[in-house]
Amino acid sequence: MPKILHTADWQMGRAFTRFETEDGAALVEARFEAIETLARLATENQCDAVLVAGDVFDAQTVADRTIRRVFNGTQGFAGPWVMLPGNHDAALAESVWTRAQRLGAVPENVHLALHPGVIDLEPQSLSILCAPLTQRHTYSDLTEPFSGYQTPEGFLRVGLAHGSVQGLLPDEIDSANPIAPNRAEASRLDYLALGDWHGTKQIDERTWYSGTPEPERFRNNEAGNALIVDVSEPGATATVTPVPTGRYQWHQLRETLAVHSDLEQLLECLSSLPESAVVDLRLDGSVTLAGEEALLKALSVAEARFRSLRCERSGLQLAPTDEDIAALKADGYVGEVVESLRERQEAAQDDVARDALAILAGLLREREQEAAQ
Amino acid sequence: MKLQRMRIEQLRQFRKPFVLDNLQPGLNLIHGPNESGKSTLVRAIRAAFFERYRSTAVDDLRPWSDSAAAPTIELDFEHDNCAWRLTKSFLQRKRCDLVVGTDTYSEDDAEEKLAELLGYQYPKRGASKAEHWGIPGLLWVEQGTGQDIEAAIEHAGDHLKSALNSMVGEVASSGGDDLIETVRSQRDTLLTGTGKPRGDYQKLEKDRAHYELEIEQLKERVHKYQEQVDRLGKLTHDYDQAELERPWDDAQRQLERARARYQQVERLQQQQEQEKATLAQQQQTHRLLQQNKEHLEGLSRQLEGRKAELDRAERDLTVAEAQMPAITGRLTEAKTAYEQAEKRRKLAGLLQTRARLEQDVRRLEQQRQMLGQNLAKAREYHQQLEQARQQARENRTDSELVGKLRATGNQLNDETIRSRTIATRLSWQLDADASLTLNNEALTGEGEQQLLEESTLVIPGVGTLGITPGGEELASTRRKLNTLEENLAEQLKALGVATVAQAEERLSAFESAGRAQKHAEDLLKSVAPAGIEQLVSEQNEAESELEKARRQLEATPKPNPDEDVPVLEEAEAALARASAALDKAESDAREHQSGLSALKQARDNAQTEWQRLADEEKSPERQQQLRQISADLTTIEKQQAELGASLERREREIREARPEFLRQDIERYQNAVNQLRQTQEQRGRELRDIKVRLEAWGAEGLEEQLNEKEAEYDQCNRRYQELHRRAQALDLLLNLLTEKRQALTRRLQAPLQKHLNHYLSVLFPEASLEVDEQLRPGTFSRGAELGQITELSFGAREQMGLISRLAYADLLREAGRPTLVILDDTLVHSDSDRLEDMKRILFDAASRHQILLFTCHPEKWQDLGVPPLDIQVSKELSA
Repeated sequence: MPKILHTADWQMGRAFTRFETEDGAALVEARFEAIETLARLATENQCDAVLVAGDVFDAQTVADRTIRRVFNGTQGFAGPWVMLPGNHDAALAESVWTRAQRLGAVPENVHLALHPGVIDLEPQSLSILCAPLTQRHTYSDLTEPFSGYQTPEGFLRVGLAHGSVQGLLPDEIDSANPIAPNRAEASRLDYLALGDWHGTKQIDERTWYSGTPEPERFRNNEAGNALIVDVSEPGATATVTPVPTGRYQWHQLRETLAVHSDLEQLLECLSSLPESAVVDLRLDGSVTLAGEEALLKALSVAEARFRSLRCERSGLQLAPTDEDIAALKADGYVGEVVESLRERQEAAQDDVARDALAILAGLLREREQEAAQ
Repeated sequence: MKLQRMRIEQLRQFRKPFVLDNLQPGLNLIHGPNESGKSTLVRAIRAAFFERYRSTAVDDLRPWSDSAAAPTIELDFEHDNCAWRLTKSFLQRKRCDLVVGTDTYSEDDAEEKLAELLGYQYPKRGASKAEHWGIPGLLWVEQGTGQDIEAAIEHAGDHLKSALNSMVGEVASSGGDDLIETVRSQRDTLLTGTGKPRGDYQKLEKDRAHYELEIEQLKERVHKYQEQVDRLGKLTHDYDQAELERPWDDAQRQLERARARYQQVERLQQQQEQEKATLAQQQQTHRLLQQNKEHLEGLSRQLEGRKAELDRAERDLTVAEAQMPAITGRLTEAKTAYEQAEKRRKLAGLLQTRARLEQDVRRLEQQRQMLGQNLAKAREYHQQLEQARQQARENRTDSELVGKLRATGNQLNDETIRSRTIATRLSWQLDADASLTLNNEALTGEGEQQLLEESTLVIPGVGTLGITPGGEELASTRRKLNTLEENLAEQLKALGVATVAQAEERLSAFESAGRAQKHAEDLLKSVAPAGIEQLVSEQNEAESELEKARRQLEATPKPNPDEDVPVLEEAEAALARASAALDKAESDAREHQSGLSALKQARDNAQTEWQRLADEEKSPERQQQLRQISADLTTIEKQQAELGASLERREREIREARPEFLRQDIERYQNAVNQLRQTQEQRGRELRDIKVRLEAWGAEGLEEQLNEKEAEYDQCNRRYQELHRRAQALDLLLNLLTEKRQALTRRLQAPLQKHLNHYLSVLFPEASLEVDEQLRPGTFSRGAELGQITELSFGAREQMGLISRLAYADLLREAGRPTLVILDDTLVHSDSDRLEDMKRILFDAASRHQILLFTCHPEKWQDLGVPPLDIQVSKELSA
């Protein structure tokens, strides 16, 4: 009754751009925690092995500390781990793997599939057919030899590969590291554990992409899971159960503001997101000065609440209404300046004019607030 | 605004209250001499407005040495149809009260109200200064500052602008200038005056570039790292492959094969060399044998030659010997002919000798005869000669001596004669037996003697008589006579004669004998020139010769008269011919003989040589040698042929093995082995190097660093972009604000210009004075003159200043602002004409504004058309 935990694409050593430093650090940290989570899940679910289908590391040259932390993270599961080099951490002549071995960081229960072939886990009656990447890119199907691999009688044949299943994944046509869509069937595999696609995705009843355990992109593609694969005996149908592992949810919102209700809707949407959200907000359209004030206030609240909030407003125009201007008491030539900026912004989509207008409005507002006090 | 009344108390010299009342809405001329308190009044008005009532910096208001004073000012004025009363006390009693219509303000409120009304500000602390004075600073002119318009306008600044904004019908932005300042200060934190980034913005820009550089470098290093990894992969593959295939072993094997092959060829070549050497040796031997053989064969040839030579010598000898009898015959003939010729010549010679001998005989006979005759004669003559000679000998006298004798005789005679005359004559006649000895000379007989000298006469038995001749002459004569006698005697003796005559006679005889001798000698000489003995010997000779000739003749055989005897000359010639022929024959024979000998010798030599060679040739050793040599030659030639064939065969073998290619092969394989091994070693080294390098680089976690750097860059860039946009926005905002405000200012320029021109036309009808954007009077032009107001004379500047202030007052009035003009002893530098114009201007302005004109020269302002207000008088009234 072998049970496998299938994961992939840890991408350890990745640093996050576009985030504030502390946010980036927290996201990195979450990825280390994800390994521990996986170990814990494997133990809790009494898995026989953990298969990592490539891209454990994001790059070949990561810090020694990163390498050690990755392997330390596996301690929570004492059963065998099989790690497969992917395109980011291919088993080159010198690689992150050789480095890890030199460092003595690899625990005994962690098997590194640095060469194509079969790793037999005898106590578990598991044959892991490995197709590691030994070059950065290959253009032939590395799982091709699976068909020729002999496995002991009564052992499950589990393929472990990293690449793109041809013809099934969007935007991945002609991509490197191709894998035949019928590999599991063709090579008599009980299960084919795939990596490379960061979202959890089923290819056929025996072939899955587990996706990355901790999301690291805004593309909403079902990231943040591991798969518990249960195959009762060789040839039996695999029961695959996705288990959430991700800590942070990444949300990308693109909104066009035209009328006031759009803004209200946006603010509502924001407030509905969980605190563990990593939010990327892109706004365009236009907003009144009053609307902007409300938006800024809401963003300020959201920034404090979410793990991370980034808002791109350069596409959002300021459209001060007469009331706005009256409220600002922008009289005399200052009023003329406000008008001039508004015209410029509208006529030329001038970001600078928009910013200038925002600054001026801010200053005037401050002045009014001071005056009011 | 119209000031109506002013009251002061406890203020400087006005210790008692002083009231200035009845101030007119237009022009007010307030005068008083120096020290009268005119300036104090001006100061009081300023203090009432500008100084905070609670200010501690107004000690100057205190009356001298009155520390308890509370300087107080009370002003009544009207503005906007409203009555204003300001009461302000300082120092000891700090108070401020303002009543406006029915409203009352006090303390700070009152002061703010006033400041708002007039447009000025209070100092934060201390005394009010020019920069706080605002609009009043422009309209209230202190003594001696009338020309200083620019600073006043600047200080009026915002008050002026906001006061004037209503003029242009728009609401100037309330606080717009503050806004501009805020924007400017915010902009200036990001940008420099010229729009370059500064502060954080600049730092971010630099950081960004720095990050870019770092990222670039990291990327470069990652790229290098990857290249090295690729290289490592390839090298590892190549290395393992090479270790597996060991291509150098193949090359090594090929090398060894080539070497073995080459060694074979080398051995062949060595053999070839050896055989070549052997061949050369054999050839040498062959040559030597050949030479020996030729040498031995040469003996026979020599022998033949020698034989030929011998034969030739024999032949020559035989020929020569055959010639021998002929030559001998010829010699005999020649000898015979010679003997014959000799006989005939002998005979001829004999004949000739006989003829000569006969002739000799005849000649000798004749000679003998003649000699006989001559001898006879000679003998005769000789006799004669002997006689003559005898004669001569007997009478030989010397003719000279005879002459001398003769002379001596004569002389003696003479002397004797003379002595006889004088001499002592001793004559004697002696008895015959008697003798006397005279001078030892016995005297006998008779005689006489003349004595010429002392003489002794001894008479025997008698004794001796001495005679001494007398006289001197006698002595000398006697001496002379003695000498002569002696001489004569000597000469006679010498001549051998006794007398002179005898001497003469003898002389004559001698001479005649001499002549006869001569004659005889001549004769003798003619017949016997050589003397008689000669003649005799000649005769004897001739006699013997004759005898000899006769004997010869007799000895000479008489030839046979029958025999034909040739003459001697012919015979001798024939003999000479025969002799020559004989000589020739003998020479020929001798020659022939010697030739014969030579030939014989040659023949003998040839014979010897031939014999020797013949002996040698025939020797058995030589025969043996020759046979041996021939045999050896045959053997050697055979061997040579074999060697040649072997050499050729091997040469072909060597050539076919291509040793030069084999050498090249060896080199090539050697190089290949080395190169392959080196390549592999090189790979190994490079592998180690790369591994070490990659380990070092890997430890740096380059890509993770790069990721982090990119994140940092991203943040930095984001922040930079924000600031960049903010800077641009602020810049734009500032530009727009400034632009708009300037536009506003420009709109105020026109009315100000209008008022200014109004006054200027009174002062300088043709002139113009431009107002700049800051609303300051700027460029002044009058006819061709053009310049800044600051370049004018002090008087003119003061006038310009005043009209500018009046123009501002007009502008402010139009804007509905209060205008009060206070002039403290102004225009003191104006000449009377200009002052006249200024009076017109002031008068004109006074129709719109209240003007307080303080002066200490009331006489200058008499024609101002207003009653002067004398401070002194007011003081007295107040008191």
